[in-house]
Amino acid sequence: MERVAQSAFSGRPSALGRWLVLSLALHVALVGGILALRALSPSPVVKLDPEPIKASLVRLGKPRDQKLLPRKEELLPPPPAAKVAPAPVPAEPPPPAPRPGPALEEEVPAPRPTAKEKPSPDESRKKLLGAFDRLGRTPRAPPEEAEGALDGEVDGDAARQEGDRYLGLVSARVKRHYDVSETISPDKRISLRAEVFIRISRTGDVMDAKLVRASGNDLFDAAVLAAVKRAAPLPPPPALLVNEFQREGVTMVFKP
Amino acid sequence: MRTLRLLLLLAAVPLPALAQRTVEISGANFRPLPLAYPAAMAQGAGADVTRELDDTLQFDFAAAGIFQLLDRAGYLSAASEGVDAASIKFANWSNVGAEMLIKVQVAETGNGAVRADLRAYNVGSGSEQFKISESGQAANVRRVAHLLADKVYEKLTGEPGPFRSRIAYVRKTGSNKDVFVADWDGKNPKRVTAGGLNLLPALHPDGETVAFTSYMRGRPDLFAQRPGVMPKLLENRGQMATGVAYSPDGKHIAYSLATGESAQIYIALADGSEAKAITNTSAFINSSPSWSPDGKRITFVSNRAGSPQVYVMNWDGSQVRRLTFQGSYNQTPDWSPRGDLIVFTARDERNAFDIFTVHVDSGKISRVTQGQGNNEEACFSPNGRLLLFTSSRGGARELWISTLDGEQQRKLSLERGDYTTPDWAR
Repeated sequence: MERVAQSAFSGRPSALGRWLVLSLALHVALVGGILALRALSPSPVVKLDPEPIKASLVRLGKPRDQKLLPRKEELLPPPPAAKVAPAPVPAEPPPPAPRPGPALEEEVPAPRPTAKEKPSPDESRKKLLGAFDRLGRTPRAPPEEAEGALDGEVDGDAARQEGDRYLGLVSARVKRHYDVSETISPDKRISLRAEVFIRISRTGDVMDAKLVRASGNDLFDAAVLAAVKRAAPLPPPPALLVNEFQREGVTMVFKP
Repeated sequence: MRTLRLLLLLAAVPLPALAQRTVEISGANFRPLPLAYPAAMAQGAGADVTRELDDTLQFDFAAAGIFQLLDRAGYLSAASEGVDAASIKFANWSNVGAEMLIKVQVAETGNGAVRADLRAYNVGSGSEQFKISESGQAANVRRVAHLLADKVYEKLTGEPGPFRSRIAYVRKTGSNKDVFVADWDGKNPKRVTAGGLNLLPALHPDGETVAFTSYMRGRPDLFAQRPGVMPKLLENRGQMATGVAYSPDGKHIAYSLATGESAQIYIALADGSEAKAITNTSAFINSSPSWSPDGKRITFVSNRAGSPQVYVMNWDGSQVRRLTFQGSYNQTPDWSPRGDLIVFTARDERNAFDIFTVHVDSGKISRVTQGQGNNEEACFSPNGRLLLFTSSRGGARELWISTLDGEQQRKLSLERGDYTTPDWAR
């Protein structure tokens, strides 16, 4: 009878609501815990060297018999230079006939608007719209504190992956200039390790390059510094990470 | 709801900032050091002496394998530029691609002696890397130059340079084939034998005594001889004794002795005594022995598998192992003083003779020469970084020095003749 007496519209405690709150709390705690663990764990060294996939086109032909001695890769002969007919010597151009107007269009001075020429309301509107249009098309400078979405995570995966991808590009660029002297004995090469700290501007310029850990071999140290300098300018960092690479920089660990 | 708000607030607490990024870069391109070496300057020394020292140093740097000696024609600085850091315009040297600059000054010190001062600069930093001075008689200025080059090499690599080492070879003149010993650059040659047919010389580690096969008694026997001294007989048994090689300590020899249809590898004391066969393959030929740097193993050629191939074994003949499985005509192996490689001559499928190396442990074969005439009979330099071999690319067979990858090759400047079977003392 009590049940009947209760109004269907009167508030009554709901078991579902409590479960919902509990479930939400558990989810938040779980996600928070995972994020905290990730943030507190040391940042892994990005080893990018083995990762890039080298793709090369294999020349069409019969595979070499394994019993035969190896041959050095022979460069294909350059295609014979196409016989280029000597360019006809241009005849002395006849002197331009005097023309009534200005000789060249470039030389026409731009007509200056005079105070008397008032733009019509239509023209004003077009100008205004044009200005807005130009404003819209002008590339905006990346925001100084562009750290991602407002509700994003500081150590979000996107930023890390973006950074790794960018460092891959930097690594590839530096590696192209990573020339080390043959004078270093093969026995000594194994133990060489040098570290260079660099800061990268938003345009990719190397703002600062310091040898923070010398290898003990002057030639190797000079070679790694030269590699960084010759590789500049580096690819510009992604907008999201401009501040990080500009302020905190990156340490490059060089090994032979 | 209050609990929910609290949890959301906790989740929004900022977490620690990103750790500084680190990127590892490896896979350096090892390449010869771009070196600028302008002509040595005379400071009271005669022009001829200075030029000879200069020529010698120039060859040493160019053929060393660790430098890319830049062409003097491209130098931007005046030849009169000083030798001290203050007077050097390093930008000029940097602009021609130099990373190291070497300046040499030669002075006469009286009594026919000269002193050469060498300064090596790091072009990038404009700083002096080291300075070396060497003295000697003007008549022996080439040796002063080799000494300087050796010290430069050692300063840069930490290894002894090969520039004062000696080589031996056979030079054919008319109907004679004589054994010669010379400096590493082919200069200062001394004829060891006195005409007739002399073959396959091997230099003792002392750089002067040379063992070889000679027909001086009408049949191919083994002899050892120093220039200007009478030859000593080492072996006169069998039908032919060839391919002698000294052990690294110079106390033993290994050679091939042919009897009947076969030839076996023998080892003996350096004077030829206590000889004993260490191979026993009655129907096959075993030849061209060469010692490993520790003197415990020997590489040689054998046709026991049907075609001449390179093998290794212990110096008592045990643990024979075939090393080459590519190519059908591999011969004249020489074991690197570093121990890791054996260089050999092979005839490829185009019937060209070329130089190859095989890795002792992995058996991996790499090609040194290709498309440059016939290249044969290679041997290692004492530091294992260079090869000396014959090449017919210019017509007659001449002696060439090459890096192990064949990227840098240089011909020895020798008198006319047909040159064969070189050996490098080590």
